[in-house]
Amino acid sequence: MYDEAQDALAAEYVLGTLSSDEREHAEALRDIDPAFAESVRLWERRLGELNVMVEAVEPPPAIWEKISAAIGDVAPPDAASPTLAAMGEVRPFITDETPIPVLSSDQPAAEPAPAMPAAAQLTDTLSDSLTASLAKTLDEPSIDSMLAGAEPFSDAESDNVVQLTQRVRKWRGIAIAMQAIAALLAIYVVAAQFLPGLTPLRNRTGAQQTAQGPAQVAARMVAVLQQDPTTPAFLLTVDPQSRTLVARRVSAKPEQGRSYELWLVAKGASAPKSLGLVGQDEFTQRTIPGSIDLATLRSASYAVSLEPAGGSTSGVPTGPILFTGNIVDSVPTTPRT
Amino acid sequence: MLMQAELVWLLGAVAKGDKAAFERLYGATRAKLYGVLLRILGRPELAEEVMQETYLKVWKMADKFDPALASPITWMVAMARNRAIDIVRKRGEVSIEEEPDAQNAVADTPAPLARREMTEELKRLLACLGKLDPEKQRIVLLAYYSGWSREQLGTKLDIPVNTIKTWLRRSLLEIRECMGK
Repeated sequence: MYDEAQDALAAEYVLGTLSSDEREHAEALRDIDPAFAESVRLWERRLGELNVMVEAVEPPPAIWEKISAAIGDVAPPDAASPTLAAMGEVRPFITDETPIPVLSSDQPAAEPAPAMPAAAQLTDTLSDSLTASLAKTLDEPSIDSMLAGAEPFSDAESDNVVQLTQRVRKWRGIAIAMQAIAALLAIYVVAAQFLPGLTPLRNRTGAQQTAQGPAQVAARMVAVLQQDPTTPAFLLTVDPQSRTLVARRVSAKPEQGRSYELWLVAKGASAPKSLGLVGQDEFTQRTIPGSIDLATLRSASYAVSLEPAGGSTSGVPTGPILFTGNIVDSVPTTPRT
Repeated sequence: MLMQAELVWLLGAVAKGDKAAFERLYGATRAKLYGVLLRILGRPELAEEVMQETYLKVWKMADKFDPALASPITWMVAMARNRAIDIVRKRGEVSIEEEPDAQNAVADTPAPLARREMTEELKRLLACLGKLDPEKQRIVLLAYYSGWSREQLGTKLDIPVNTIKTWLRRSLLEIRECMGK
């Protein structure tokens, strides 16, 4: 089923206009939701055609030296992967008899000359306004704006993805009517390093952010709340630095006259603690109460229940628990594209 | 420019750890990637860092490349662009009037390609872009080529950010409908 909002998100992600927080959410979603990943891939293909128009610029030769040195230390990819076998079928394009041009690093790149034909005229199929737009756009001076006051950016963020399967956790001591929850939950977690001073979604002021010294490593925690492994309903991101939590409504639809409420179930706690209502907007940001410490946040379970409009008045869930999930420490696996 | 089939073959060889193939792949693609990165990042030293990162990723993940799903250059440029935009977004927005002069390695006035140099897919995309209002065409192109954020686009065109967001979404979905797949 075509989800327009999801596709628009994928499109803006590929185009590049999402904010930093939204990009992180989109990247996490891409890891866990194959339909979204496919949307992204299709947008990369559509918009990628524009790359043809970017003029090639010869990079300094030193770059290759550094790359070459770096791969000397890195193991080549695993030769036994299934994709590789599929690629074997492509080889007939080039037989042993076909000479392949050898490009040494001294040779200029076999790219079209950067100087485009001056007499380029787009024919009537393309409107004059588009021609003007393109010319104006490509004339834009190179913009150093975003990078004022910059230091070299921090070490490449390592994005780690782990997939775990866990049993549903039962909550002790809580008298709630629970709907059937899938016996197995697949939980995907992304832990990302982020620059200090990153402003939470709602508080973005547009002011310049400067890196405050060496980037502090504070793993951002993510939980996927869902009912079955194929349909994530909410994506939670917890920022330990700013003590904020962002809940993104992925597929859960808010019901008329009812509200989704987010609960934290700490290990060993007798009752869940409400973290507030979520899901009225696509992104909901909440501040985490000061009484909850980082270790608790990391080890707790999270759940979303369906309450009467305005949420539960009794301090515990009164409606059905629809989506649950955990935050788990990540383990490095294969890097994402 | 090497034929697409040759690039696919090179990637296949890279996936098996063939360093000579990797060097050839680099030679064939480096200028395009560098051009893309310079345009978004503006600063050569940043573009170089992302070049290194990207090619290292290509080396490590060549076995994950599936030629049925993407062309080699689209795959590689997407990786490079993603990283570049991550960087410019995290750096935060600076008002355009405050931009310091940048050492501009990119040619100032590139002309649009002659039609005969365009791929069929590019012609279709441009035809679909051409159906949008000129202002909407501009924000899509500025966003893609220069990596501008909604805030920067809003400042530049003197339009509220929320309007930019709405325009972008609508324009992108119209492009998708127009292109048919």
